[in-house]
Amino acid sequence: MSNDEIFAAAYREHYWAVSRYVARRLQGRADEVEEVVAEVFTVAWRRRADLPGTPLPWLYGVARNCLANAVRGHGRRLRLMDRLGNDEAAHGRHIAAGPDAEGPGAWVHEALDRLAPADQEVLRLAAWEELGAEEIAVALGCGKRAATMRLHRARRRLRAEIDRLGTVPSTPPAGRPTPQPGPARATLCKDHGHG
Amino acid sequence: MADELELLRCADPVPADDPRFRDGPLDPRAERRLARLLDQEPAPRRSRLLSLPPGRTPRARLAWGLAATAVVLALALDAVLGGPSAPPAVAAPRPLTVHARTAPVPLADMAALADAAAAGGSPRLRKGSHVQSWSLGMSDDKPPVTLPQERVVVWRADATHTELVVATDPRRPGRPVLSDEGGEPREVADGHVISRTTFPPMWSDAPPEGPPPHTAGALRAYLTEVARPGTGPGTAPLSTAELLDATAELLDHWTLGARESAALVRLLAKAEGLRPVGEVTDRLGRPGHAYAYDARGIRHLLILEPRTGAVLGMEDTFTEDDPEYGVRAGDVMDYRAWMR
Repeated sequence: MSNDEIFAAAYREHYWAVSRYVARRLQGRADEVEEVVAEVFTVAWRRRADLPGTPLPWLYGVARNCLANAVRGHGRRLRLMDRLGNDEAAHGRHIAAGPDAEGPGAWVHEALDRLAPADQEVLRLAAWEELGAEEIAVALGCGKRAATMRLHRARRRLRAEIDRLGTVPSTPPAGRPTPQPGPARATLCKDHGHG
Repeated sequence: MADELELLRCADPVPADDPRFRDGPLDPRAERRLARLLDQEPAPRRSRLLSLPPGRTPRARLAWGLAATAVVLALALDAVLGGPSAPPAVAAPRPLTVHARTAPVPLADMAALADAAAAGGSPRLRKGSHVQSWSLGMSDDKPPVTLPQERVVVWRADATHTELVVATDPRRPGRPVLSDEGGEPREVADGHVISRTTFPPMWSDAPPEGPPPHTAGALRAYLTEVARPGTGPGTAPLSTAELLDATAELLDHWTLGARESAALVRLLAKAEGLRPVGEVTDRLGRPGHAYAYDARGIRHLLILEPRTGAVLGMEDTFTEDDPEYGVRAGDVMDYRAWMR
């Protein structure tokens, strides 16, 4: 297959996964999402010679940069931040109940929001895009071990914030989180399938 | 009790079965966009706007700032002089040791020194950074390794910037070092270019892209936004761990001037639990005063320049074993040394 054909196949296969990636970070605003996804695939098209055999994590990496550029834009950032704080649908509509069933999922978002942006992103990639360490490394443009370390640190910090919020009654078995990267297991919520 | 990743997954705002973004055929607009891309002429190859995936370092020549050029030349020279038979620089560095019989200097005293040093307003704030780091690369099935890197970010007047990342360990010049680009750690020559990226013009006043202020109060608000983007002025004060994280983030973007450094020391002087421990010599051979903060299995060590209070570096060391990753108490998880 030519580069163009490979690109077209990746576009068809991953368009919606990339859309979900962007929507999660723009809190589900469909109008913004489509615009950013179009930019992601335009950039990916220019770089189609670089498209790897497993393109999705690489596309997430492109999307991450596109989102960063979008947020960096003067003025646009303020609009986005305003939406981040006001989009009720994105905050609650699809979220399963947490252990205390009070304010479904909001307390997890609150804990996540307290972390540094880099920590938030590695956690989202692991939990929402269900990437393993190797795929996270591709998406973040770092090595597998560095990705594993970042995830490990971010998980510790998220656990600390969850504990601080006091919504979870106890720490996990063995007194510490299981730092195994990779697809998260669904035990508390409906399994929505891969990212 | 679920672990934190499971909890987070349950809070996915856009799950895979969301009717707006569910997997399936493209909608007409997405089809049109694809057709438009496929119909256009091949795009000319231009300087890259985005980071490249591991192992795809571009070979294009880029115009570098003077500082970046000097670094590359120095590293290349080191590599030549070091020769191919030199042993690799793979030993895991140990934590800094505090010099015996040195008196800890309280941060309040450092703040006064920094204020005095800032009276002349020199040196000045500069956008961009120069940092040497040693990061512990961890794996769940192999022993941890230390990955040394030097990163230079140079901004230009037209608001473009370039980032150069090379594998190097200045403590062992000329010897091969470990790099994990492409996945598995492997030895590369000292000075091996891991990535060099040119970014298009960017304008932003949002921390940490926007310039940091030089009063303690304003800098506190700035660092709060770095640590907790999107939170308003009513947010709770930063914890000491957050303040240190945000400081590192700031220093990865800006080379502080004397006034900003003085404001930063004023903030640090009020950080709870950050205590003076004595004099150290940092990994670049510079003398400094060290300040320690212990939290949740990690010891953070902040190193300040003795006369100006400028932050020279930060060291994060495990204080507890973590057998799953082969990490032992005393292993340095991360070390960053900032340079002007």
